[in-house]
Amino acid sequence: MTINRFCASGLEAVNLAAMKVRSGWDSLIVAGGVESMSRVPMGSDMGPLLYDPEVIQTINYIPQGVSADLIATRDGFSRNDLDQYACESYERVRVARAENRFGQSIVPIYDQNGLLILEEDELLHPDTHLADLEALPPAFADYGDWGFDHMARIQYPEVARVIPMHTAGNSSRMVDGAALVLIGNQEQGTAAGLKARARIRSAATVSVEPTIMLTGSVPAARKALERAGMSAKDIDLWECNEAFASAVLHFQRDMNVPSDRLNVNGGAIALGHPLGATGAMQIGTLLDELERQNLSTGLVTLCVGGGMGVATIIERV
Amino acid sequence: MIYYQKDIHNIVTLTLDMKGRNMNVINHEIREAFIPVLRHLQEEKEKSALKGVILTSAKKTFLAGGDLEYLYKATDPAEIFAFAEEMKAFLRELERPGVPVVAAINGSAIGAGFELALACHHRIALDHSTIKLGLPEVEIGLIPGGGGIIRLMWLLGIERAFTILKSGRRYSPREALQNGIIDELATSEKEMMQLARQWLLSTQEGRRPWDQKNTAIPEGTARDQSTAQVIRRLTANLARDTHPALPAPRSILKVLAEGSKVDFDTACRIESRYYTQLVRSQQCKNMIKAFWFDANYIKEGRNRPSGYGKFRPRKIGVIGAGLMGSGIALACLMNGLDVVLKDVSKLIAERGREFVEARLKERVARGEINEEQRTEILTRIHTTEDSSDFTSCDLVIEAVFENRMVKQKVTREAEDYLDDFSFFATNTISIPITRLAEATRRPDHYVGLHFFHPADEIPLVEIVKGAQTSPETIARAFDFVRAIRKTPIIVKDDWGFFAARVRNTYILEGITMLEEGYSPALIENLGIQAGMPIGALSLADELGLNMVMRYEKQAAEHYGPKYIQHPAVNVLNVMLEEVDRPGLKKRAGFYDYPVEGPPTLWSGIGNHFPAKSRRKIPTEELMNRFLTAQVLEAIWCMQEGVIHSIPAANLGSIYGWGFPAFRGGVIQYILDRGVNAFTKNCQRLRKKHGQRFQVPSRMKQILTEDHMANEKA
Repeated sequence: MTINRFCASGLEAVNLAAMKVRSGWDSLIVAGGVESMSRVPMGSDMGPLLYDPEVIQTINYIPQGVSADLIATRDGFSRNDLDQYACESYERVRVARAENRFGQSIVPIYDQNGLLILEEDELLHPDTHLADLEALPPAFADYGDWGFDHMARIQYPEVARVIPMHTAGNSSRMVDGAALVLIGNQEQGTAAGLKARARIRSAATVSVEPTIMLTGSVPAARKALERAGMSAKDIDLWECNEAFASAVLHFQRDMNVPSDRLNVNGGAIALGHPLGATGAMQIGTLLDELERQNLSTGLVTLCVGGGMGVATIIERV
Repeated sequence: MIYYQKDIHNIVTLTLDMKGRNMNVINHEIREAFIPVLRHLQEEKEKSALKGVILTSAKKTFLAGGDLEYLYKATDPAEIFAFAEEMKAFLRELERPGVPVVAAINGSAIGAGFELALACHHRIALDHSTIKLGLPEVEIGLIPGGGGIIRLMWLLGIERAFTILKSGRRYSPREALQNGIIDELATSEKEMMQLARQWLLSTQEGRRPWDQKNTAIPEGTARDQSTAQVIRRLTANLARDTHPALPAPRSILKVLAEGSKVDFDTACRIESRYYTQLVRSQQCKNMIKAFWFDANYIKEGRNRPSGYGKFRPRKIGVIGAGLMGSGIALACLMNGLDVVLKDVSKLIAERGREFVEARLKERVARGEINEEQRTEILTRIHTTEDSSDFTSCDLVIEAVFENRMVKQKVTREAEDYLDDFSFFATNTISIPITRLAEATRRPDHYVGLHFFHPADEIPLVEIVKGAQTSPETIARAFDFVRAIRKTPIIVKDDWGFFAARVRNTYILEGITMLEEGYSPALIENLGIQAGMPIGALSLADELGLNMVMRYEKQAAEHYGPKYIQHPAVNVLNVMLEEVDRPGLKKRAGFYDYPVEGPPTLWSGIGNHFPAKSRRKIPTEELMNRFLTAQVLEAIWCMQEGVIHSIPAANLGSIYGWGFPAFRGGVIQYILDRGVNAFTKNCQRLRKKHGQRFQVPSRMKQILTEDHMANEKA
């Protein structure tokens, strides 16, 4: 089954699998996501959100980059705030890679003859300094000039001008990727000789105002916490997808999450965001890190195009 | 009404000549007349007794557009939809594969009239610059309903079709050829008919691209990713370039995007659905009211003093070669008048000619006029430093800077050379005409003509009647303004006349919101969202805060003890006296004006007028206040005799300062909302925001009186 929840498709697949298992109608499911942004460009499905004038005009649907700039402008984040955050993400990935923290979750890829194609992530990870990030030009200013700024201001008249601040450096990188998670009930797991690593405490999906679009992580996380009967302080580690720096900073501010518990091994800004795969990948990296630090609970959340948010809470067993 | 003539080559010429009208229009009548003719032509074709058809007109126009009086009244969706579908069926019948039809366009073809030409297999137009061709429906909030959008898309592709349809431009035949909406030009009627015959003799069967196999819309459809990207960009451009409440340009894009994915006839039906929606929309009704009914009211001269013969100006004198004087000169030149442009020295007067030359060059580049026309226009301007050159002028307009002494001096100098049949006009905004007239020898021949900047473009002139201005002078001023194809509105010699006075209330309302703790960005965005062309604070800066204050002080003088101070005055005092930021001229007002880059809101505003945090911003109410403040002031103007009719107030507001046309103008706004709803709203606003929202006592009477006048029209 293919599902499309844009950026959160991977996590949505996991949550759907969990629901099926919990309902008792299924017992063991492989869920996750595959994305080849190099071969299937964004927007290839020709969906109306991007291309239909009626939909675009009715909900003032602007490109995500402009939404990210709008969040930064409204929340008062500066270009420097965004670059600082991005720089930290690169640094955390550097450390994580140096210490081989992703090692146990990376699966090499072989061709049909059994020859090795990729042993590990082929994305380049150059040393990134703040000055390099600061030198990059805004990436979404053209969209703003086309008229998407005007659409943003129709929805948010308190904004004088959407300040273009997101660049190729403080937005997620475009990459290919895939990730899978195995979800099942105890009976099937035991029968198959598997040992459970974690359980899914709760999952949540929300929709938010579609022009600003990328603020959905906050209500999604709150809803998942409420479902699980937990509060934010019960969460040991957080994974909030780094679609754009402003989306994470907005989440961090609203949820009051300390920096040393959030995206501790970096995120999509440095690692790339293979749209459909990211959510499932985050489950894996979060669980690896919970085990490494011997902590218990973690929350994964992603903001979603079109104005949605998805969240999942896991707990080690 | 359709003359049928067949020649030896079996070519039939159909000549449209509607009875009892001076132009052909598209209506039920013409459609019904065509049906038997088309049936007969098909039969002839089957008998091989027909080569082809030439369609032309016996009138000066080829074919004018649809019936606006019908569209204004139409409300039933089924009926409007059927109307559009019938029109389409008729045009489809004309272009049905078989008999080739050439449109020999001997005169203007506009709107539905041009749609008929588009439904012919080939279009040849007479190359005459007075002929206008195009689909201007967007101007009245409407779209073509006869399949014109779909035909244009099939001929030119989505983007080019959209650009033409969105602009609503009326093209000269040459521009029409350049833009691909006609196929050939002819220099004379004879040549046009010859070309038409030639084309028919070399054409076996008329078959449009959409009726052929293996053809496609040029540049692709909305299914193609690259075209879809173009559509996305055009959608964004609409947000930037047009107001969200203007549905017509948006509907055009939707018809193109949706229509490109389906076959021709389905696409046409999609067009009919959007057409029906627009005909029913209040925005469209308001625009028809303003640009058709109100405009006709003015054109018919119903505010013009009657009993005076029509004045036909030939030669106009202009004093002052600054921006305003040069703009006025250009407006006169563009409409065939001779101009004598005078300034203190020939050298300075020459600057006016340079201005005119530069503007004409732009018009040539845009294809609005050609080289010969440009050369001819330039022969009609004469620059001078000598008042004696005014001797044969019918009218001299003074447009020197706002200083009473200077204005009176240049007036006296010019007057020495004017004869009894000529009259004199002043272009002032802040000095009473009656006072200026004191210095003239013939105050009865002296009138105010208030042009708006840029004078060659803004289609409105306020005619200001001084205490001694004679009705005959008013009538002649009126005829002059009509001669340069602008809308004349006659106003009383009071502060700000009509336009500037009413516009000031928009500015003051915005400034008041600042004091109430709304952020300046919010004020500016909401002004624009309410439909105004520019934010209130930005407009204040442009005008100068001193000027804004001056109008308010003049109002205070006028009302004496009855005057209640506007809350904006406090803010103005701070801006002018405490922080010395009087506006654009000093590059410091509500905005900062850096030498490079766009203006930005002054960062210090918050220190003087701190923004209050509110749980919810009452956006609707703020927009409501922006418009209501203007509407009430316009009613006061009618009650005090500053302006004399609803059509004049409506068009004055739309053209003069950009009150939203989709609201139909500053008085139509009340009728649009309903008098009772409007009154209730004002009562609520008055309780909350003060006496300035008090409804003028005679409002209802004013509205009914004029409403009846309109009914009689």
